[in-house]
Amino acid sequence: METKNTGNVCEEQVFDTIFKANSKTVFNYIYYKFGNEEKAHDAVQEAFVKLWENCAKVSPPKAKSYVYTVANNLYLNVIKAEKVRLKYADKTLKVTHESPDFIMEEEEFKQKLNRALDSLPENQRTTFLLNRIDGKKYAEIAEMEEVSVKAIEKRMHLALKSLREKIEGI
Amino acid sequence: MQENHLAKWLNNNLTEAELAEFKKSDEYASYERIIAASDQLKAPDFNADEALTAIKNQRTLQDTKVVQLHPFKKFIRIAAAAAVIIFGSYFYLNNLDENIVTEYAESKEVILPDNSKVRLNADSKLSYSERKWSKERNVELKGEAFFKVAKGKRFTVATDAGKVAVLGTQFNVENRKGFFEVTCFEGLVSVTFNGKETKLPAGTSFIVIDGKITEAPAPQTQQPSWLNNESTFKSVPLKYVLAELERQHNITVETQDIDTEQLFTGTFSNTDRDIALKSISAPSQIKFKFEGSKVLFYGDKNP
Repeated sequence: METKNTGNVCEEQVFDTIFKANSKTVFNYIYYKFGNEEKAHDAVQEAFVKLWENCAKVSPPKAKSYVYTVANNLYLNVIKAEKVRLKYADKTLKVTHESPDFIMEEEEFKQKLNRALDSLPENQRTTFLLNRIDGKKYAEIAEMEEVSVKAIEKRMHLALKSLREKIEGI
Repeated sequence: MQENHLAKWLNNNLTEAELAEFKKSDEYASYERIIAASDQLKAPDFNADEALTAIKNQRTLQDTKVVQLHPFKKFIRIAAAAAVIIFGSYFYLNNLDENIVTEYAESKEVILPDNSKVRLNADSKLSYSERKWSKERNVELKGEAFFKVAKGKRFTVATDAGKVAVLGTQFNVENRKGFFEVTCFEGLVSVTFNGKETKLPAGTSFIVIDGKITEAPAPQTQQPSWLNNESTFKSVPLKYVLAELERQHNITVETQDIDTEQLFTGTFSNTDRDIALKSISAPSQIKFKFEGSKVLFYGDKNP
């Protein structure tokens, strides 16, 4: 996933490459935090327009963390988190060897997981989902969140722990 | 077990022993299930191409915006407009001349900035610029006025017919339609008529009737008779006399079967209308009668 850009961000091609590599993650990142798709779209817009405006000052290797910072700062303390609603990929649903009971129980479990995710602290949820959905490594998330890798590990550990507790009603 | 072992487990960072121990634990199945389910999760759809196009559109929009809304230029434009209005009104108000107007049967005394006195006869207008007064003593006159000019710089009276210039003196200027008269009572007055300058010593008059310069008879008074509420004429066509009568008494005069070009010498009162009418009719051997607010002068032969 590393962007190997040479040259200037002001060059259309370099900019487009950076955008294609990072825009989806910026979008997801803001969505995981606030559960608002519109705000997530706006954040992508804002972050990359800012990047373009400052393309002369931001070197390509710095561009990635630059857009995360802009997106993050945009809603800093401004909006209240809404419900984070995530869908499940329907790939497993096609294969229905399982009994209806099992499927129903599985559905129930997914709903529980969704609710549990929604009730997680914002930073734990964001870390967990970036890792599970976007396949971001702890180091990458640490860079985005501007914290240490160890802090991300802690968040991940706590996220998983409280998910289980919430789902099992402990 | 390591710190944050759940995170380590997901990252495959547990030692074999740790992993074995973790797998034996009660929670392991739950965690497995959570991870299995969460790996099916999807974020909301995001169309990167669309978003990129939107950004590029916004970029061009912003680029043009910068050109269109130059806030400083806009400010300058507004400031310039405001300056024009402010300076414009300043100069307009400053250059606005003082205007003194008299109606029919009315006269006014005007004190000019240098204490020169002007007596304005009926149906006349005097204007001057107070701002420019210290530079040049200029007045514009329509109608008739008597000037008592304080000593000082050149004092000019501009009329449609001609210019009158003095240094310090007393003089009368009358400029009516077809009639222009300047009478000097004291000092020396210079009259420029049709580009020709005439020096007028005290006790002389300069009269132009219908464009013709008339021999100037000397007034016998120290000031024009109208200051004493009388209008005096010497060899003046009757039509100008009647016009003055209209002005002094605010009446409309009509004539019938009389020669208004005949010369009139005499005086009429500016206060008593009946006496004034008789003063004109008797020596000219014409008759008059009232017709409403009008006065009709008519010849002796016709009733």
